Order: sequence, then C-alpha cells, then structure tokens
Amino acid sequence: MDYQLSAEQMKLQQDMAAFCREEIAPGAGVIETCDAEDKDARMRRNLERLGKAGWLAIGHSRDGLDLVDIFLTGEEIAKACGATFVSARASAFLCAGALRLFGTPGQKERYLPKLMDGSTIGSFAYSEDQAGSDLGAITAAAKEEDGSWLIGGTKDIVVNAPIADLFIVLAWNDPSAGPDAGLSLFIVEKEAQGLSTGHRVETMGLKGVPIASISLNGCRSSGILGDIPGMGLDQVRRLMSMGSIGIAALSVGIGTACMEISTAHAKGRKAFGRRIGMFQDVGFKLADMFAYNDLGRMMALRAAWAFNTGDREAEVLAACAKLFASEAATRIVNWGMQIFAGHGYIAGSDMERLYRAAKFGEICEGTSEMLRQSISRQELDRFAAV
Amino acid sequence: MDFSITQEQKLFRETVYRYGRDEVAPLCEEADLRGEFSREIWDRLASFGIFGLPFPEELGGSGADLVTCCLAGEALAHAGVDGGSLLAWGAHTYLCAHNIYDFGTDEQKKHYVPKLASGEWIGCMGLTEPGSGSDAASMRTTAVKKGGSYILNGTKTFITNAPVSDVFVVFANVDRARKHEGITAFIIDKGTPGLSTSTPFHKMGCKCSSTSEVILEDCEIPADNVLGGEGKGWIIALSGVEWDRCTLLSPMLGAALFNLDACARYANERHQFNRPIRSFQAIQHRIADMKVFIEAARLAIYRVASAKDRGQMLNPLQAAVSKVYAGDRGFEMASEAVQVFGGYGFMHEYPVERNFRDSKLAAIGGGTSDIMRMIVSRIMMM
Repeated sequence: MDYQLSAEQMKLQQDMAAFCREEIAPGAGVIETCDAEDKDARMRRNLERLGKAGWLAIGHSRDGLDLVDIFLTGEEIAKACGATFVSARASAFLCAGALRLFGTPGQKERYLPKLMDGSTIGSFAYSEDQAGSDLGAITAAAKEEDGSWLIGGTKDIVVNAPIADLFIVLAWNDPSAGPDAGLSLFIVEKEAQGLSTGHRVETMGLKGVPIASISLNGCRSSGILGDIPGMGLDQVRRLMSMGSIGIAALSVGIGTACMEISTAHAKGRKAFGRRIGMFQDVGFKLADMFAYNDLGRMMALRAAWAFNTGDREAEVLAACAKLFASEAATRIVNWGMQIFAGHGYIAGSDMERLYRAAKFGEICEGTSEMLRQSISRQELDRFAAV
Repeated sequence: MDFSITQEQKLFRETVYRYGRDEVAPLCEEADLRGEFSREIWDRLASFGIFGLPFPEELGGSGADLVTCCLAGEALAHAGVDGGSLLAWGAHTYLCAHNIYDFGTDEQKKHYVPKLASGEWIGCMGLTEPGSGSDAASMRTTAVKKGGSYILNGTKTFITNAPVSDVFVVFANVDRARKHEGITAFIIDKGTPGLSTSTPFHKMGCKCSSTSEVILEDCEIPADNVLGGEGKGWIIALSGVEWDRCTLLSPMLGAALFNLDACARYANERHQFNRPIRSFQAIQHRIADMKVFIEAARLAIYRVASAKDRGQMLNPLQAAVSKVYAGDRGFEMASEAVQVFGGYGFMHEYPVERNFRDSKLAAIGGGTSDIMRMIVSRIMMM
C-alpha cells in the first residue's frame, strides 16, 4: 500500500499546473462573459494551445487510457478554468477516448492524431431531450443504405457542437434488438451532409463551454465506432463510468480553486481587529473545504488506479468518487460564498463564477440520484435472496 | 501509487473477521447491556494475539505494521464486536503499551510490554483532567521530586480501562511554570499507595470499556518509573498521533461495514406495502451514502497508516482529515443505519442501536472534531 504519487506523476501535475497558470487561468473570467462568437473562438484557441503543448494526449497510450494521469491533469485544467476543462474533456476524453477504447485501427489512425494535437475538436452526442440516464429512450436512428449509415434525429445539449469537427453520435441501428444490442455509436464528420448545428445553449455556469443542439437529417455517418453494430450502450456505459473520474476532477478542481481564493481572502481581510480566518466560523469552513477536496481527490485517484489495474470495483468506486466530489464542490462553493459574503456575490468575481460552475458536477453524466441508485444496487444485491 | 493490501494481509483480515464473528461478537450484546467491561471478551481477544500485534516477537508481539493493525480493528468491528471492547484494546495497546515500547528503557520494556502484549495485564493512559481536555498542556496534576522519587497529586478523568488496569501511564507536570515543557510521563503499577480509581462512569456508548477517574494522592513513584525522561511527557502525548488517527479509527470503519451489511440484508428481508423496502429510493440512498462513507473513510485511515509504515513524516492535515471525517460523518451514517431499521433500530437487540451510541465517541475522544478543524485551519492560515 502506497498513497504517494510517483515522481513522474508529481512532475506531470506540477507542469500542468504551471501551464494552466500561464495559459488558461488568465482567460477564465473573460470567456465566461464575452459574446458567444468570442467565446467559441477563445475556446478553440485554448484547445489548440493545450493540444500543441501535448496536454490533450496525456493519458492516451496505444493500449488505452491512464485514468490517473487523466485525473491529475484534469484537476489542474478545471482549477484554472472549469469551462476549458469541460470542452477539452469532451474532445480528448469523450470523443478521442471512445475512439481509443472502441475504434478500429483505421478509425484511430484517421482521427486520433488530430484530436490529440488540438487541430480537430471532437464532440460526443449521446443524450437527448427525453433521454439522459435512461438512454434506451433515445429516438435518433440510423438506416443502412448502400453500405453506409444514414442517421436521423436530434441531440439537444451537445458539448462542443458549435466548434466541433468530429462527432460521435449514439443512435439506434436496430430498435427491435432493444437497447442492449440495438444501439451503436456512429462517427460523423462536420462536413457530412444532413448535419446541422442548432441554437447555442446558454448555461447557468461554465458559460465558456460551447454547447448547442445538433440535427441529423439523413446524415451520412463515416462508420460505426469499432465497426460492430449493437455495442453502443455498453460502450457508452464503459466510457461514462471512466468519465466519472473526469467529473470528479472538475469538481475537485473547482473546489480547490474555491479553497485557495477563500483562504487568501480569509488571510487578507480583517474584522474586529483579526484576520477573519482566525474566527472559527471562517477557519472551520476552510478546514472542511480542505477535508472534502482532499478526500474527493483520494477517491478519484483510488478509482482511477482501479481502472488502470483492472480492479473489479473500479466502476462503483468511480461512481462513489463522482458522487462525493461533486456534492463536496457545491458545499465548498457555498462555504466560499459565505466567507466572501457581498464580495463573492458580485457578477464577474471568481467566487461567483465558481459558485455557478460547481453545480454541474451533481447533474451531468448521471445525477447524484442515479449514482446513489446504482451504488446501492450492488450493495443490496449482495444479500438478495436467490 | 498502490492502494492494494497484500495477499497475506487479506487472509489475516478474513481470519480475524471470522474469529470476531464466531468467538467474540456473540458475547457483546449482553456485555453492552450490562454496561461493564467483559474479561471474557478481553481474554478471547487476548488468546487470538490481538493485543500484541504491533510489538516485536521478542517482546511477545507479532511485529505487525500499522496497516495490519488497522485491518484487525476494521475486521473485528465489521464482525460485530462492540466499540467499547475495541476501545479497551486501543487504549491498552496503543496508548499504554505502545508508549512504553516507544519511550521506555530496556528494563521498562522487558518488564511491561510482554505482559501487556499477552493481555495478562491491562493498561491505560491518563492525560485528560476535569479542567483540561483539548487544552491538555494546562493540566494541574503535579509531580514533585523528593530524593529518588516523585510525589504525584491530581486527578485524571475519562480514563479508558482505569478501573481494570494493572499499568497506568500518567502525565503530570514537574514545574507548572514551564507549562508543557514540565510535563512528564510516569508508569504506575496498580496497588501503588496513593493511586486509586473512582466508580466507573455510566457512558452513552462504548459501554464495554470501563472508564473512571484516576486519583493521585501523594502517590510516590520511583524515578525509575519516569517514561522517556523528565519533561518529555508532552512529546509522548503528541507522539502517538499516527497511531491514534488510524488504529483507533479503524473500528469506526468496521462498524460502518457492519451497519452496511446489516442494512442491506434487512432491506431485502423487510417488506412494507407488498414490496421489500430495498425498492424504496429513500432506503437505497442511505445504503449508497454508507458505501461512499466507507470508501472515503477507508482511504483517509489507511493513508495515515501506510505513510507511517513507509517511514514518511506525519502529515498533520491528513491525520486531522481522517479523524474529523470518520468521527462526524461516521456518526451521521450510524444514525442513518438506525433509520433504515425504523423502530427495530431503536431496540437494543439490533446492533445498529449500539453502533449508533458507540460511534459518537469518534468525534470526541482523542481530540474533538472542533480541535481537528482548528488544527487544519491554523495551518491553512499560516
């Protein structure tokens, strides 16, 4: 048993932090408030910068994904700018990760190098207006015609849609086979006929993330991911389970950013002749912030390590990590807002931006409620009558 | 990075779990109801070699590392052994015997450790006083040097195992003007004139550990029984933090595992409205929260243990996180377990009731949650 990061992992973390401090953090405020066109241009630039410097390829190897490295770098990006993390992750993890894990050698060769260097931006379109946790309820469907698949349907909240060059889309290939065998992930290139991007979706927080709906009208797919139809739901489940590590990274990153600015504020601001952090009402909140960030990080690393080593517990540990870290983040920003008080409530302040951003973790890619159901099922089944 | 335990440790945990379940846990319900220390439980733990785990073989122990010690505490509580009996073990092995092992002279070690390791003697440690808990350095117990002896006067309180102890490690100040630099530890044998204990307290939980005051009235202790040297008491009192923050907390983790098993089993068996209550989301969510707590607490506790095993310096932040999380959240989770059982959970026959009462101690004993938050916040404010 050894909880320490290796020297290489520590260096990776430090280098990523330094890069983000220089290149990403300074623009975190502007990308939240500027107009939509500017937002998209800035995000594209951020992803190019990360890609050029090699950061989007971290965690990718020929054999698969290193979730520990993905967490370590992800936390630092999220700490600098949550929106940039969400956008970069949609491309480098959700889209490129799906290709890495499930793609054919040809598909990997064609798409991955450009996704890794940031010259192609990827997107992963799976949920729909009426289908989130219950993916069997999606309506997008593909038909095979002359050896290629034509997709029809609408995806309503697609991260990166306004700036993406490549989409991976969940749709039925055979509705009669049911969700476990009738869904597939389809590769769709931006230039494909019948693909259109809809209105930009404005969000409560993480406003720099480019989000829009996409419509597919007989849209020609460049193929089924992995070339075997019917694997879609299983692929999404596997990817989303690993994806819990990323949302934990987002939450811990936001929580840590909040802890740092709150601590600085508590040191600098005086009331009644004392630095406010010396009052227990403030200091104990800082302590709780530390504890929850620290434990959230440990849980995510534990789960990431489980994935890396093929531990059977990996999926439930990842669910626990996401649940813990995301709920910790919303509590942390709430405490942070109390510490900043009026100064945190001012639009455009870092505190206010983090406050809005934190909520995302509890609702995306499996709400806390859905996670609790799946975590409890495994425990309850241990004692189910056979 | 490696979060796994060895195959040997895994087997050890299973063996301890089975022993606890079959040989010890069946005695706990009645002992808890009586609210008394159980020498029978003690002897069964002793005969399994539990008390000597961390000591070297030549002193009657088995040379276990901290991770292994934590696994034992976790496994016994998971098996249904009550928090009081495990607290009695913790106070005995980690607070008394281990301090003698760490700071004692060769003679002291040879004299005390083997009999403590075997469980033949029971040990305790006296630090807290009626007027000094978290602020331990302000203790009023004094030790005045007189020839080759010290004369001790004062009262210690909340001393786990005191009423049944053979060996007392007690802290007193040789010069209160020097504050914590005057604090000195003494080893006192049962029967020493001037040493007495009060009637055991009636406690909310951990009832199978016996707790009382230790009263020192002109109690004369030979200088040979100073532990670690005059003025070194404060260092001794602080030294065990790595041990406290993992071995003493591991039963909390085990109790949560016991509760999770109990609740998951009950939720399958119990039917209301023609459905097993496991089908209700409010029950499911409690089960999930228990699982999350267990995973987080496990990481916090074993991180402290494995760091010490690997010779790393204590990280005071990590130690405090371990304590505050296992204490505060552990109590909340024990309360949720009672809720799953409804009215039955309120009854003594159901061990979730006992675990609920026992679990409150983790947020109080050995440094309250408030003190943990103070430590963390002061470091953050530096």
